[in-house]
Amino acid sequence: MNDLNWVPMHPTPMQPPPLPPVSAKFTGKRADFIRLVARGAGLELVTAGFYRFWLATDIRRHLWSNTEIAGDGVEYTGRGKELLIGFLVAMAILVPIYLAYFLVTIEVERRFKGFASFPLILLFYAFGQFAIYRARRYRLTRTVWRGVRFWMDGSGWAYAWRAMLWGFFTLITLGLALPWREAALERYKMRHSYYGDLQGSFEGRGWEFFKQGWWLWLLTPFALYFTVGAPFVYAGFKAVEWRWWLSGIRFGEVRLESTMTRGELVGLYWIAIGWIALLGVIFLAYLGVSLVLVVGVSGMTFAEFFETKAFAGSIPLIVLAVIGYLAFVLGVNLVMRVVLMRDLWLKVLDTVGVHNIGAAANVTAKGELASALGEGFADGLDVAGF
Amino acid sequence: MSIVADGASPHDSPTVYFDGMSNRRRIVSLVFADALEIREDGAAPVSWAYSDIRQTDGPGGLLRVSCLSAPPLARLEIRDEALAAALTSRCQRLDENRVGGGSVAKIVGWSVAASVSIVMLVWLALPFAADHLAPLVPEAFERRMGEASEVQIKAIFGDGVCDRAAGLAAYNKLLKQLREAAGLDTDVQSAVLATDIPNAFALPGGKVYLFSALLAKAENPDEIAGVLAHELGHLRHRDNMRSMIYDGGASFLIGLLFGDVTGSSALIFASRSLVTASHSREAEQNADSVTIEVMHKLGRSPKPMGELLFRITGKEGRNLSILAGHPLTEDRLQRMTAEDRPPSGPPLLTAVEWTALKAICDKPAKK
Repeated sequence: MNDLNWVPMHPTPMQPPPLPPVSAKFTGKRADFIRLVARGAGLELVTAGFYRFWLATDIRRHLWSNTEIAGDGVEYTGRGKELLIGFLVAMAILVPIYLAYFLVTIEVERRFKGFASFPLILLFYAFGQFAIYRARRYRLTRTVWRGVRFWMDGSGWAYAWRAMLWGFFTLITLGLALPWREAALERYKMRHSYYGDLQGSFEGRGWEFFKQGWWLWLLTPFALYFTVGAPFVYAGFKAVEWRWWLSGIRFGEVRLESTMTRGELVGLYWIAIGWIALLGVIFLAYLGVSLVLVVGVSGMTFAEFFETKAFAGSIPLIVLAVIGYLAFVLGVNLVMRVVLMRDLWLKVLDTVGVHNIGAAANVTAKGELASALGEGFADGLDVAGF
Repeated sequence: MSIVADGASPHDSPTVYFDGMSNRRRIVSLVFADALEIREDGAAPVSWAYSDIRQTDGPGGLLRVSCLSAPPLARLEIRDEALAAALTSRCQRLDENRVGGGSVAKIVGWSVAASVSIVMLVWLALPFAADHLAPLVPEAFERRMGEASEVQIKAIFGDGVCDRAAGLAAYNKLLKQLREAAGLDTDVQSAVLATDIPNAFALPGGKVYLFSALLAKAENPDEIAGVLAHELGHLRHRDNMRSMIYDGGASFLIGLLFGDVTGSSALIFASRSLVTASHSREAEQNADSVTIEVMHKLGRSPKPMGELLFRITGKEGRNLSILAGHPLTEDRLQRMTAEDRPPSGPPLLTAVEWTALKAICDKPAKK
């Protein structure tokens, strides 16, 4: 389990070192995926969101099982029911905490100045970080390649504690420490990740990340000021982060390397932003048409309609707006899943090279399954992590 | 009888076996005997009972199976179509425990049932729970809550408690009559706060605040008396506690739906506003009933309060009603007018006292 002096148990057929990296391949069809998420979005609507657990599972099953590394397909063994149970357990834990939080807030506000309860939000931040760690652990333990699963040990709370400290550093350095935060946290995650008896590690350095992304830090204040710029800066950041992250991943002697250019990934984000903007325009146009129709039917002039406040409570208008909004939300979800999940996944696989795969030719199975509690917390607290 | 499926030309479409213990890729040949035999050169054959074989997820063009009696991650991957068909025909229970397909109807059914039960809880069980739990909350706790919100309120509206002596005396006299008529004990505390917003409200634990701007708009003591009686009504019904339990419960239950689906927060917010507004309207109506009851008991009319409110908000318009936390002002005025009776009791304040009350916030003579 010690990657420094890991010795193959059997003499594996030794490959000469300068072998070209093995590539990953995706065999799924885009149309199949679009059908999957479109149907899933509809079911989410019908089930008031409960279908999300099964949709997330189906999406992962599709992405995982169509991914081939060195000629062998990956398999996702998680189930929607596990996510549902994880969510319910997380709720059962969070509810008393919310209640206790509420009582403490009252006491704090009574004793000190109003709104003094803000620091208690830290508690929820810690829970969010715990959720991110445990959710990754769940996903990893449901990932199987060549009949051996990935797994993780380590502690979600130890991770949350690190994340809080680094978060504090990042805050007081106005975000400059972010690359080092990412590197340190990823080192912790990867150190505790395994493929069978092969231990993972992370070799990305904060400094490398910083060198590639410092200009984004300079742009951020402008992007935040002119809100339109924010998605583009975010896309640039993600592009730098993905490549840096992928290239740092190790399992034993196996190395990943990404040749993804910033432009390729930013391009994907632009496509997503473009689609969402288009959907937004259609939504607004639809609202405009609905308004004209409703006013027309009511026989009022526009001025009357707005002056009497009738527009705020007109039932037909509200119904039309809600229907339009639902369609808009479903459309946005569809675009995000197709472009920012599937297409991004493909882009990552296209540009990733696996070096020295021979070192993973005879790995012994090991590791236990983890519960979906972390996924449940992530759902309940609305945090996303990878 | 056994069909030997020839040892799969390794370069073409090899059959691959992973034993679930190590990740070694084993090129195997299959023998269909009483059970499936998986043979690898130089290793003991592995045998899988047909009834234990299950299909697992795999990419298109490949049959990937596992076996219940083998290690859970042992996988057999068959790329040759004819061979896959030969195995499929022998395994009757291949598709059991598989995800997708028939289970969707079940998921939808249960989800709809869960949603319906959540809606029923919000509509029926929550008001019941709020009504019955609120009286169980210890008063000490309620008072603490009130103190906490008081700190916030003073942070927002400023700490300008109006306490000009003559005005204060008149205010306390008015409050005492109303309090006694409403059947509340001396725990009730009240004050006039100097702000520009015409409003009044009750805090948990027996505190009532009247904002000076409302006082300024009032034309006679009965108008203010009606408003104060309404707030006392909230205290008597413990509406703060009830709406806290109700709103908290509703937020939680509605939050169970949709979860982290993108764009769901607007939906959650909208449905929550709708539900809590309806609960709040009911509480307001009940507090108005207290105004009517108290004013009648004192031999005065509740109508002036309706007039005061109407003077402040004007006509609100029919359509807003489902999202409003109060009943429409015109409806309240109409209700108060219907309960209008000629005065049978003495005025609640003398003209001198009323003038003093109106001047309670005036600075110069601050004691």
